[in-house]
Amino acid sequence: MIMSGAEPFYFPGGRTGCLLIHGFTGTPKEMRSLGEHLAREGHTVLGVRLFAHATRVEDMLRARWKDWLASSEDGLHLLANTCDRIVVIGLSMGGVLALLLAAQHPVAGVVALSTPYHSPDPRLRLRPLAGLLTLVWRFAPKGPADWRDPTVAADHLEYPLAPVRGGVELHDILAELRLRLPAVTCPALVLHSRGDLNVKGESAEAIAAHLGSSDKKLVWVENSGHVVTRDAERERVFDEVSSFVRRLTPSSA
Amino acid sequence: MSSILTGGEPFLFPGGRTGCLLLHGFTASPQEVRELGRQLASRGYTALGPRLYGHATQPRDILRARWMDWLGSAADGYHWLRGACDRVVVLGVSLGGVLAFHLAAEFEAAGVVGMGTPFAIPRDPRLRLLRLASPVVRFVPKGPPDWRDPSAAKTRVDYRVYPVAGLAEVEKAILAMRQRLAEVHCPVLLMHSLEDTFVPPENMQAICQALPAGDRQMISIRHSNHVLPLDASRDQVFEAAAGFVARVAP
Repeated sequence: MIMSGAEPFYFPGGRTGCLLIHGFTGTPKEMRSLGEHLAREGHTVLGVRLFAHATRVEDMLRARWKDWLASSEDGLHLLANTCDRIVVIGLSMGGVLALLLAAQHPVAGVVALSTPYHSPDPRLRLRPLAGLLTLVWRFAPKGPADWRDPTVAADHLEYPLAPVRGGVELHDILAELRLRLPAVTCPALVLHSRGDLNVKGESAEAIAAHLGSSDKKLVWVENSGHVVTRDAERERVFDEVSSFVRRLTPSSA
Repeated sequence: MSSILTGGEPFLFPGGRTGCLLLHGFTASPQEVRELGRQLASRGYTALGPRLYGHATQPRDILRARWMDWLGSAADGYHWLRGACDRVVVLGVSLGGVLAFHLAAEFEAAGVVGMGTPFAIPRDPRLRLLRLASPVVRFVPKGPPDWRDPSAAKTRVDYRVYPVAGLAEVEKAILAMRQRLAEVHCPVLLMHSLEDTFVPPENMQAICQALPAGDRQMISIRHSNHVLPLDASRDQVFEAAAGFVARVAP
C-alpha cells in the first residue's frame, strides 16, 4: 500500500526533535538521509508521509492542502511526548507546511528548503474555474528534471505526473503561507539552490523577507537541483541544517 | 489554532523495544485508545496511536476517504514503531481491529488484539437504503450514546455523525479482511462485549473460525458496550491486553 522504500520513519534519540516533511508528489525517502544524519547527531527524528503520497497518484485527486497540514501536525503531536523542543524541517511544499506549523504552534525553529512562495502557475489566477477544470483535466506532465547527481536521481521515488487538482491545492496553500509568514517568529533557516529549475530562487528571498523572525538566515547552494536533500551538495545541506538544530539545542542536552 | 480536534491528537509514548500500535475505530479518534496506550507504556512498552485519515478533523473529510487510506495511516504507525522497536503488537478497536488484521497479514507482527472487531456489517436493510441515498444524505446523526459508563461517553472525542459514504468503505475493509485472515499466523487475542449492541458478539467467533489454527484466545466482556477501552469494564480490557503483550512479546 505504501511504496517500498518510501515509508515514514522514526529514529528515537535526545530531547530535541526534528520533524521532517517531504514535498508535493514526493515521499519520505527524500528526507530520510537528512533524518539519519540528524539522528547520528543525537536528535530524535520523525518523518511523516503526507496524505495520498507514496501510494498511488490517483489518491492525490482526493487530497486537500488541509489534509497535508493535518499529516504534518500529526508529526508534531507524536514528537511532543518525547521531546522538549521541536525543529520543523521541510522540503518544497514540506517547507510551506513547516512554516505554517511554525506560525501556529510553539516550535523551536523552522527550516525551509527549496520552498516556493508564489503560485506554481500564473493561470491559477482563474482559481474559481480551476476546481471545475480538475474534474476533467486530472494529470499534467512534470517540469524538466534538474538533478546534478544522476546516481540519486536513478533511485528517487515520486509520482511521475503532477495531479492538476494538487496544483490548485498548492496555489491555495501558498496564499495561506503569504498570509501567515509574518506570524512566524522562531529562528528560521531558508536554503535554496541557484540551480533549482522547479522553484526559482526569488522565492527564498521573498520568504526570508516576509518571515516575522528576527533570527533568520538565507543560505544558497550552487550545484544542486530542487531536491537539495538528495542532490550533489547534500552533505553541505546536512551540515547547514544540523548546525542550525545544534544551535537551538542547549549544550547540556 | 490546530486542524486536529483537541484531545483527538495522535500519540507516542516512548518505552522499550516492544511496540504497541493502537488503532482507533470509525469516526472516533486516537483518544479512544490513548488510555490503553498509557497503561501499556507504564508497563515499559513503546505505545503509538496514529490518527486514521479523515478522523479527528471534520466529518466531511471522511467523505473523501477510502478504506485503503485508513490502512495507510495504520501502516504509517507500524513503520514509525519499527524505527524504535524490534517487535510490534497491533491492537485495534472495531474498524481499528479490522486494520490490525490487515497489518498482521501484510507485515511481521508479534500479535494482534482485536476489540469489538466486526466480521460482518449488521444486516440492516436501512443501511442499504442509506447507501443509495448517500449522494444526497451525506451524514446521519449518531443516536444517544449507549454506554455502561456515561461519564466516559462524555469525554469521548469523536464525530457526532456518521458520514454515509464512510460506512461503505468500512464494509469494504471488512470484506477485504476476510480474504486475509487466513494469512494471520501470529498469536491473536479477541475481546468482545456480550452486551455490544453495535457489533454483536457472534462476530468474535466468526473471526476466530476464519483464522488458521494457532495461539488464539477469546475473552467475553460484560458491563461494557462497543467501545471496550473506554467503557465501564476498561480495566479488565487493559489487564487482558497487557497480559497478552507480555506473553507474546517478552
